[in-house]
Amino acid sequence: MSFESPLFWPAHLKEGVLYVLDETLVPSKLKYISVKNVKDSVAVIRDMKTRAFGQFLVVLNTFLLENSDDLKHLQKVAEALNNSRPTFPFAEVTGIVVGAAQKAAASGIDSRLAVAKTVQGFLAGIRARRLQRVSEIADELKDHDVVLTHCNVSGELAMAASLAAAQGKDVKFFATETRPYMQGAKLTVWELQEAKAHVTLVPDNAIASLMADRMVNKVIIGSDRSAANGDIANKIGSYQIAVLAKEFGIPLIVLTQPSRGVATGEDMPIEIRDADEILDFNGKKIFGNKVKGFYPGFDVVPHQLITKAIAINAGL
Amino acid sequence: MQDYKNKSIYLFQGVFTPEAFKKIRLAKSDHAFVCEGRPSLEAGKKTTSLLLKQGNTPTVISDNMAGFLFFKGLVKEVIIACQYADKTGALCDTGALILAVLAKKHKVPLKLLAAEHKTRFLGNPKSILSFEGKEFAPKSTIGYVPLVEWIPKKYL
Repeated sequence: MSFESPLFWPAHLKEGVLYVLDETLVPSKLKYISVKNVKDSVAVIRDMKTRAFGQFLVVLNTFLLENSDDLKHLQKVAEALNNSRPTFPFAEVTGIVVGAAQKAAASGIDSRLAVAKTVQGFLAGIRARRLQRVSEIADELKDHDVVLTHCNVSGELAMAASLAAAQGKDVKFFATETRPYMQGAKLTVWELQEAKAHVTLVPDNAIASLMADRMVNKVIIGSDRSAANGDIANKIGSYQIAVLAKEFGIPLIVLTQPSRGVATGEDMPIEIRDADEILDFNGKKIFGNKVKGFYPGFDVVPHQLITKAIAINAGL
Repeated sequence: MQDYKNKSIYLFQGVFTPEAFKKIRLAKSDHAFVCEGRPSLEAGKKTTSLLLKQGNTPTVISDNMAGFLFFKGLVKEVIIACQYADKTGALCDTGALILAVLAKKHKVPLKLLAAEHKTRFLGNPKSILSFEGKEFAPKSTIGYVPLVEWIPKKYL
């Protein structure tokens, strides 16, 4: 694969420090935050310095940073990570690592070594499967497709766009800006441009116009969590995109990580974030002091609205 | 979430004339939610101002959050700014078609009120590259900013 987006693998462990790409600064800066312990990890997740797949990398690597054979401590690390943000299934990830440590300890094996092997093996497997999925996404991209995407799918779409172009396909993209954090405008547009793809930025309220006017023929989005019945949770705005895609007969492709942790989308906790993240900008109130705000971070897309899921089995 | 009862939210979208807005009356148990209206935020700013003048405390949401409210069964009525209407449909401020499709799917009534703007069809493509004057998208980004859209009669 000739092009790899920095968002594809946005955290790297080197000499006891985890370097995490500060996605809030992209595209103006590519700056990596030094994460040295679980407290730092929780901060970069909660402050949304990293998100989506980056969170997964931070969660797993935190056990390597802590480098402990104390099972009680590992459990505390897991709890801190699990409580950092509610929607992503952190507990399913940390449970695997803590489970490996417990199993090793019960067998008289060094649990520190078991944790390291579990995490490193897990990451190597995920990387290979994500690269495979990039190829599968590229296969879905047909010549003359115009694809709408929302928020950011951590490098995979941009890399698939690069691959599709190398295969001689002419594919264009529309990216929603994805208020209030603007991940679409800041991350997706930037990495698609880096991949030499043609991308146009649209406001979140223009998606129906695009579909009604037949300006897009495919929708591809990611997901933060899956339920056993195939429902997914993804960045806020995904539900209305899915409803509209169905209404206008446009296929919706979702990149998923299957999990049986919850039965349906209704069972997924949805994070309600601080309303000031909508109401304030650069320290000033946008709409006046008396106006309130409401900011659900995610919404659920029922499986009936999903045309195709391209799954990556993370072992959850 | 527990702050809002089912079917208690009036959802506003677009820039309304003050005269048309005088028809709006909310009960104390109702909530007024306003779509912010990117890129200018004019809809959010003007509609919240009109609601405050009527003694209501509005809640702003980003334009991508309306679906969440429908999914949770919270929306009682949708009120959208309409520039022109005839027997085949209505020309409304962009964002209206999202709400019209959601309203139909979730069986929520939709009301048209007169829009303030009548002649703007396409916004400046550069306007989507910044927020409140601060640029955030890469400088070479292409933008597309439709300001009106047609709502077929089947959604009204």
